[in-house]
Amino acid sequence: MAISKDGAVENARKDLANRLKIDPGDVKESSVEDSDFPDLSLGAAEDGEMSGQMITPGWRIRLEAQGKTFEYRADKNQVRLYKFKGKNYRI
Amino acid sequence: MNRNNIFIHLALALVLILVAAFAGQLNRMRKQWKTQVRIVPTEGKKQAAEATVIGDAWIPRRPEVLVKFKSGVSRSAIEALMRRFNDRIEDRIEHAPGWESIDDLDNADAETTVAEYSKLPEVEYVEPNFEIELSEVNEGNPLTPVLPHDPQFNEQWALANSGQRGGTQGADISATLAWATTTGDDDIVVAVLDSGVDYTHEDLATNMWMRPSGMAPYEDTELGTFDDVHGFNAIDNVSDPMDDNGHGTHCAGIIGAEGENNLGIAGVNWNVRIMPLKFMNAGGFGTTKDAIEAINYVIDRKKAGVNVRVISASWGSTMKSRALEDVIRKAYENDILFVAAAGNASVNNDRSPHYPSSYNVPNVVSVAALDRNDQLARFSNYGLKSVAVAAPGVDILSTWLGNQYEEKSGTSMATPVVAGVAALILAQNPRMPVDELRSRILGAVDPLPVLKGKTVSGGRINAAKALGD
Repeated sequence: MAISKDGAVENARKDLANRLKIDPGDVKESSVEDSDFPDLSLGAAEDGEMSGQMITPGWRIRLEAQGKTFEYRADKNQVRLYKFKGKNYRI
Repeated sequence: MNRNNIFIHLALALVLILVAAFAGQLNRMRKQWKTQVRIVPTEGKKQAAEATVIGDAWIPRRPEVLVKFKSGVSRSAIEALMRRFNDRIEDRIEHAPGWESIDDLDNADAETTVAEYSKLPEVEYVEPNFEIELSEVNEGNPLTPVLPHDPQFNEQWALANSGQRGGTQGADISATLAWATTTGDDDIVVAVLDSGVDYTHEDLATNMWMRPSGMAPYEDTELGTFDDVHGFNAIDNVSDPMDDNGHGTHCAGIIGAEGENNLGIAGVNWNVRIMPLKFMNAGGFGTTKDAIEAINYVIDRKKAGVNVRVISASWGSTMKSRALEDVIRKAYENDILFVAAAGNASVNNDRSPHYPSSYNVPNVVSVAALDRNDQLARFSNYGLKSVAVAAPGVDILSTWLGNQYEEKSGTSMATPVVAGVAALILAQNPRMPVDELRSRILGAVDPLPVLKGKTVSGGRINAAKALGD
């Protein structure tokens, strides 16, 4: 089932709260922008992952918590956390 | 010298002057006649051309030539050349972007004019004007552009760029000229290693590979037996390579959407066999391990007698895998070309490698992407040492899930263009070894200033040159 922009933001908010072990209400939405990503893993491939090299439209979601900004990338198929402590995660 | 001799010499000189003057007048009269003959309405010309058909032979009626100027040669530069050679542009050829019909006003024969133009740096191709109707296929005339009737062909700028949608005329792979030599061969199998292929798509179904009825199902010593009727699926071991993303179907259409079928688009090959391999999921990503399994499948089928000579790999990452490199080398040892996307991070692969395109294995052809104006795509990776060639990869129309067509961009789209050209070469030269095939591709480019220092070949792939046209 295709993921909507609002659904992607909600998934990202829950994921970040879970990772930081905080209440989802303490995660602030900083910005949500339409963006073209370089490939089908949205430029956020996990280790050992290969992806189609096709420009992919999606959303760049920036969330704030504990005084830091975190970037999520999403499209209709997936939500990914970009460079969280140096690593990418597909959620 | 006596007085009589002087009179004899004067008389001889007078005769020579009169002969020269008469010859000059004859020449002027001939030019006038020729010019009058050439000023005929388009409809009249078409009728005259049709009248030149004798049996299956096409007879050249006029000492004209057809010239394709290189992309970027301006109208004013072409007009200056016309003045220099005392020629004129008789016609721009409808449906054949970049081609001009040239009329030699000195009445030189076509061969002389062809020789004259072929030396010019501004000229890509020149040939005598054998009058045929350009919209028809005529395999007997190898150097005449061939146009398919697929209804969306005019959107396929990569194959025939007429300057549509702000593009540059001639900034294409010269597919229409290549098709005069071959439109492909269904004996050539190209493996599309991707998210699978929608093998039921109406513009692909005819060109899909199926396991021959006499060939045993694929057996993997660890994974078991696969009923690989339509290809191979490395993800779920069910072996249905149906695409659930669209990426693989798009790449397959670029290589081999059926041509001249009055549907959608034409592939670089009108006839070919596409072997679908699925290792990427519905999201368009997959694991190195599954990619390796799929390549092993290709090698196994090759050994079993399938004429699979090309793997098209429109994927990658920045992570190096020795195991993946080894299996690509194994494909090389089995005479299989591996065409791979250079990547979309706008970086220099010589410094920041992208795999598998950056593996230093002799069968790997790394492909960068160009836009419709012969510019390196803003997203495309490049590399003087590690990226072999460039091909069109922006706003590429091709097949999509559900009998649809979509425009997509990426080195993913440039890669199957080159894989398709490799298949055309093999259609013409079925036994060409992989080393020679790779060399042929790298040597068959139109040099572009923007690619100087950016790729090994420094040019855009040219299908017609690759076929030796």
